[in-house]
Amino acid sequence: MRKAYIVAAVISAVLLAVPAFAETSGPTDLAGKTVQLFDTNHSKPTVLIFVRTDCPISNRYAPELIRLYNELSSNAIFYLVYADPANTVEVIHQHMAEYGYTFTALRDPSHVLVKFAKVRVTPEAAVFSARGQLLYHGRIDNRYVDFGKAMPQPTRRDLEEALRAAVAGKPVQVASTTAIGCFLADVQ
Amino acid sequence: MTRLLLRALCAAAFSVMAAHTADAAPAITFYRQIAPIIYKNCAHCHRPGESGPFSLLNYDDVKRRATQIAAVTKRRYMPPWLPEPGYGDFVEERRLSDAQIQLIQEWVKQGSPAGPIADAPAAPQFTSEWQLGTPDLVLHVQQPYQLSAGGPEVFWNFIIPVHLKTTRWVKAIEIRPGNARVIHHASVIVDRSRSARRREKSPGSGFAGMDLTVAETTFDPDSTFLAWKPGNVPAPEPDGMAWRADPGMDFVFNVHLRPSGKAESVNPAIGLYFTDKPRTKFAMLMELEHDGAIDIPPGERDYVVSDDFRTPLDLMVLAVYPHAHYLGRLMEGYAMLPDGTRKWLIRIPEWDLNWQGVFHCKKPVYLPRGTVISMRYHYDNSADNVRNPNKPPKRVRGGSQANDEMGNLWLQVLPVEKGDQRAVLQDALMRRLYEKYPEDFIANFNLGDLLLSQGKAANAIPYFERAWKAEPRSALAATELGTALASASRMPEAIQRFQQALDLDPKFTDARYDLASAEAASGQWEPAANGFRQVLKERPDDAKAREHLGEVLFTWGDELAGAGNPGAAVERYSEALTYRAEDAELHTNLGVTLAQLMRFKEAQAELVAALRIDPSSETARKALAAVQAQIKDK
Repeated sequence: MRKAYIVAAVISAVLLAVPAFAETSGPTDLAGKTVQLFDTNHSKPTVLIFVRTDCPISNRYAPELIRLYNELSSNAIFYLVYADPANTVEVIHQHMAEYGYTFTALRDPSHVLVKFAKVRVTPEAAVFSARGQLLYHGRIDNRYVDFGKAMPQPTRRDLEEALRAAVAGKPVQVASTTAIGCFLADVQ
Repeated sequence: MTRLLLRALCAAAFSVMAAHTADAAPAITFYRQIAPIIYKNCAHCHRPGESGPFSLLNYDDVKRRATQIAAVTKRRYMPPWLPEPGYGDFVEERRLSDAQIQLIQEWVKQGSPAGPIADAPAAPQFTSEWQLGTPDLVLHVQQPYQLSAGGPEVFWNFIIPVHLKTTRWVKAIEIRPGNARVIHHASVIVDRSRSARRREKSPGSGFAGMDLTVAETTFDPDSTFLAWKPGNVPAPEPDGMAWRADPGMDFVFNVHLRPSGKAESVNPAIGLYFTDKPRTKFAMLMELEHDGAIDIPPGERDYVVSDDFRTPLDLMVLAVYPHAHYLGRLMEGYAMLPDGTRKWLIRIPEWDLNWQGVFHCKKPVYLPRGTVISMRYHYDNSADNVRNPNKPPKRVRGGSQANDEMGNLWLQVLPVEKGDQRAVLQDALMRRLYEKYPEDFIANFNLGDLLLSQGKAANAIPYFERAWKAEPRSALAATELGTALASASRMPEAIQRFQQALDLDPKFTDARYDLASAEAASGQWEPAANGFRQVLKERPDDAKAREHLGEVLFTWGDELAGAGNPGAAVERYSEALTYRAEDAELHTNLGVTLAQLMRFKEAQAELVAALRIDPSSETARKALAAVQAQIKDK
């Protein structure tokens, strides 16, 4: 089984541009359709937020992610990315309802987006320019310092800073940070 | 991608080579080496319904977390275990050896192979029901707590009335957190005087608060820790160490909750297991602390809080419960024996409030009389302490709120000498407290209580006066001062204190009861009767109040009858009967008084009732004869 996944990932990464493959193993929305990730017409940045249904740190960030969505989704395109192949469409719908997510969700079972966004764990985010240039990838904020070591409140909201800069068309100051969370390599 | 594949191929080639070169060193597989470690140390919490956020019950579960497991075990974040090995041996220990951790790292490096299933150990078996079997009594919270999706950690208290008809001995308690994934820690506090429920806005609503003090009016200190933490395995008390549960008492269920990202309902339950064997061994919880000395400047990296206590008795330490809030770092508890040797009780190199818990000693630690028990706690109030609740750091003082700091080392101790030695220990503890804080409420209050329990009421008075001075808003202090004054026969002052207590807290039923008792003792029947009536409104099942109200009405009736007011006397006697229906003397006096009012038929009925209860009553018999003669004449 494991080998099969690796092979699929290799092929889909190489052939990302080929629609036939993108439909079977590339990222899709919950209806199974490929999506237009970048807003080339309207110059809005895109943010991908990688989550896992059974990752406690990722789940604990739901209220913060919803806040960012509520404040910034009119100026940026938000996607919630489920990269665990075991997360079926039904499981994802249920998870979103439980945690109150209303954004568009994507399935990325072959980790095409994971690699594209250079993320390692959940929760982790990537901000892209409207033309698809990776401007930021890393943690949501600096609340978690290590496993089991969290500050009561974050002192830096890295994703929000990067996203607001991208929305304003300003340069993103910090291009990457290290996120603490559940390793995506485990669900390849 | 190619590189990754290459690495995987190399690893495979290497393991093939390794297998060829060293037949005796087989590859690490899940079923052979890893599963036993996971099943024993992780699965207890990582299973459905328990505190672990995901299950670790089979190969697929573990495989999906392999890198994660390697990372968190390497850091010793999991399994969570605070005490340093070699500084105390504890029943609860759930800690991996260095070799086990290394094995997990190697296994993950090798691609986390399952291996032949024939090697699989038996899958762990757990019950989702009560672990100790069906409890004799199950108690639920009155209103579940609704935890919001985000925000800070919450410390919540539920009041759980303990519905019992008679006193029972409890040999075990099992706490079911209800929603284990959001509960970090829970403890049950026995509240015999139902003092905590007065902090609720409405009955059953609960209240917020991290650490709380429960007021007790009698000396019967708790003997055991009633606590739950993730991975908790409930255990019955040792023989002879059952603890008492009284009708009418409350449990205060204190929980530390952490939001999970979605709204959660928290609805814990408690199961009690009774025994017919009463307590024969009097263990006691005692505390080292110096919260009053805590005053940590901002930026201070190593602030030490210490306390020392010389034990007046030979003691066995059965369990240890260290406690601090977010600034605590290194925590040490040890004992210096009279011969100069040091025995460690516990050492926690890096404190984390989230994993606090009670640690039961595998073998009781013997401390002879004269041993000095010490705590040395180190606090870090710098910005480098990630758990520091204040950014930037602020001055932090001792206190029970989450932003205050605490330093407690609780011990469960059992005096070696037979019988109840707790008063001797309590006396020494309170003297130590008094030494630390001469004006302190608890020191003065408890010393006063101790003296009162020894019948030294007059000596107790100054302690209670100081306690009340320390906490002028404390209705309890005013009440206990009143009790001491009443016991020293200073009744008018006692009455005044009880009235002041009720001014401070009109709902404090104990004070109302004491006031009514003092008024009754002073012959003030009317206010005494009104007082007891009110007590019964507040506590309808209070047998003592019923008995006393009956007594007051009876005596009041006698006084009215003697003063030539039989009409009023009959009213008192009749009301008294509500509470003393089986009192032959009361029936007799009521009968005689009714006869004086020429109400012979009613008098006859009362006297017949008196004789039914006590056929030997000469007075009733004679009165009945006279009444019956009157009825005949008519």
